[in-house]
Amino acid sequence: MSTAGSRRGIDLGQWLTYVSLTVAGLAAALPFAWMLLSSFMTRGETLRRALVPAAVQWSNYVSGWSEEDFGLYFENSLWIALFVVVGTLLFSLMAAYPLARMRFRGREPVFVITLATLMVPETVTMVPNFLTVSWLHQVSPVPWLNNWPALTIPFMASAFSIFLLRQFMRGIPGELFESARIDGAGHLRFLFQIVLPLCRAPLLTVGMFTFIGSWNALGWPLLVTNTPTWRPISVALQKFVTEAGPEVHLQMAGAVIATIPVLVLYGLVQKEFTEGISMSGLKG
Amino acid sequence: MNIYTSTRAAAALLIILTWCLAGCGAPESKPETEVSLEALDPSGQEVVFWFQHTRAREEALQEMIADFNAGNPHGIQVRGEFAGSYGDIYNKMVVGLQGGSLPDLVVAYQNQALEYYTADGIVDLTPYMSSPKWGLSPQEKTDYVQAFMLQDQIRDGVQIGLPPNRSIEVIYYNVDWLRELGADGPPQTWEEFARLCRAARDTPFSGNSNKERSIGFVLDEDASRLASMVFSRGGDFLNATGDSYTLDTPEAAAALLLMKELVADGSVEMMGTAYGDQGAFVVGECLFILRSTSGLPFVKDGVNDGARFAWDVAPPPHTTPEPVVNFYGASISIGRTTAQRQLAAWLFLRWFTEPPQQARWVQASNYFPARKSTGALLAEYFEANPRYRGAYELLDYGTPEPAVAGYDGVRRLISKAVVKVVQGGQIEPVLQRLQRESNATLETY
Repeated sequence: MSTAGSRRGIDLGQWLTYVSLTVAGLAAALPFAWMLLSSFMTRGETLRRALVPAAVQWSNYVSGWSEEDFGLYFENSLWIALFVVVGTLLFSLMAAYPLARMRFRGREPVFVITLATLMVPETVTMVPNFLTVSWLHQVSPVPWLNNWPALTIPFMASAFSIFLLRQFMRGIPGELFESARIDGAGHLRFLFQIVLPLCRAPLLTVGMFTFIGSWNALGWPLLVTNTPTWRPISVALQKFVTEAGPEVHLQMAGAVIATIPVLVLYGLVQKEFTEGISMSGLKG
Repeated sequence: MNIYTSTRAAAALLIILTWCLAGCGAPESKPETEVSLEALDPSGQEVVFWFQHTRAREEALQEMIADFNAGNPHGIQVRGEFAGSYGDIYNKMVVGLQGGSLPDLVVAYQNQALEYYTADGIVDLTPYMSSPKWGLSPQEKTDYVQAFMLQDQIRDGVQIGLPPNRSIEVIYYNVDWLRELGADGPPQTWEEFARLCRAARDTPFSGNSNKERSIGFVLDEDASRLASMVFSRGGDFLNATGDSYTLDTPEAAAALLLMKELVADGSVEMMGTAYGDQGAFVVGECLFILRSTSGLPFVKDGVNDGARFAWDVAPPPHTTPEPVVNFYGASISIGRTTAQRQLAAWLFLRWFTEPPQQARWVQASNYFPARKSTGALLAEYFEANPRYRGAYELLDYGTPEPAVAGYDGVRRLISKAVVKVVQGGQIEPVLQRLQRESNATLETY
């Protein structure tokens, strides 16, 4: 009797879990579905808030791509994201390792200060960041404003990424380092030959988060660029909203194009991404 | 070193860094202010113009800029740059003011321009306008619509911007639906407006394919909408001396009370998404919307793509003897750069507001011109766009919103107050608080 009751209980629990997950999944998928469907509609259909397009308007993609020089913005975004991801991975790895594995005076305060920067809103740091970038623009041989350095270098130091990698590295057994030391390896060799391969999942997680953040950025790029030469795709999407009203069908076609790299990347690293989240203790 | 001392050291380091960076960000050199304007040579200057226009308007503006660059006798080269929305431009300016990187020309609402002027980021245009060599003739000066010019004037006649165009806020109405409801024209009073909204709720438009949604009006909580409703009742947002807001007046209370009642009885809905009112109007779900005339082409295309009905625009219902319409629009200000660049920027601005260019610009943008004589060049356009002409004739009834520093923040407070009242808040305390908080912003500046 109790067995049957408990089986019923488990079944009900599982059922509730599945229902909740399905509802949550649908809620998460709905904006994507709306974006996709709107991208195939005429403007009239978007205004009428039609659910599905009467006829698929492939031309929206052609117009969206060609009318606002989307190709240039898309390419810019790819380069910017690539620079930021590579830089973030490198610097976060180098910063996280000593905070996780090395003993030195001030390690904890440095870590606390690093974490504290997560609490500072972006709007607060915008002015000092802009002043720094403007100064570097004047003194550096490579111009920073209207160029890739202002769009990428300030974002290569990420407190969140350092924190995530540090949490993972703290779980690496100390014996591994001792063995490496016996074999004559120093910290750098240990980091790049032993820790790095072990950090594949959290590194991909950091890479994924960084890519998404860089890909979606709008406020900062608008601040430090004035011409399309290095402007990212988010600026092109903004241009489909005019003062008179939005061209939702074209904007959504652009949004679908803009989403593809993120989806492809997520598809490639999905397993490691989930692993990275769970192993670094970030899961709720 | 314990955690306390190391934290103190880090804090000290941060303060020193901030101080250094602030020093580094200061402008490189002081602009030349003492040079005689008449003696200046603007030849070969490069000028950057930050604007918010996108799509067709940006295209038209860039074409005009190219024509100026090719044709001006001084070889001045203007570079037009899309700098984001009005809000993005404001952010760029605020940051640029501290970093010393400002454009030569910038689109700005009057209250924003006032902030830039206070921070020494833009210049007074009066010397340029009055210059015998580079300025405007007396006839040209009076050709600008004076009400528009006054918007950009602050104390002692300082002119902080020049209007390239303006829009007004009008009621868009569905003519066919009004006929079905037995009305032979747009509402002249707010009582008639309310009656028609309720009738629209009860009798959906024949061309509406979604009969489950039938409303009289979509209320946008934007401050300009409330301003229109208050102005048309004879009220204002600011007193005559400009030193106090007038947001807790009977006119504001009456406007909010009507909206509250109409929302409560289901004949008016609050706007849920950006441009949701236009969307509801063009598909025949909503009888009236209150919007800028700059949206005329969008509504025209939308109705053609949507429910295809006859529609028109009219001044908002009013209790005043004559209609009163809210007019607004961003002006163009000249950034504080160098004397030569400022002059070059002025020459472009003067050219851009000359009647032939105005005529070209308003046809591309659907804005109203800032120069009266432009009307004579628009005869064909008026004929082809009767709604535009109808709205253009309302310009004489225009009243502007406050052009005081900090009004951006007050606009947000007004929007919150509108939402609060419509959601059931008591009008009097909400307006009193709004008045108090808004006046506090005047003290800040």
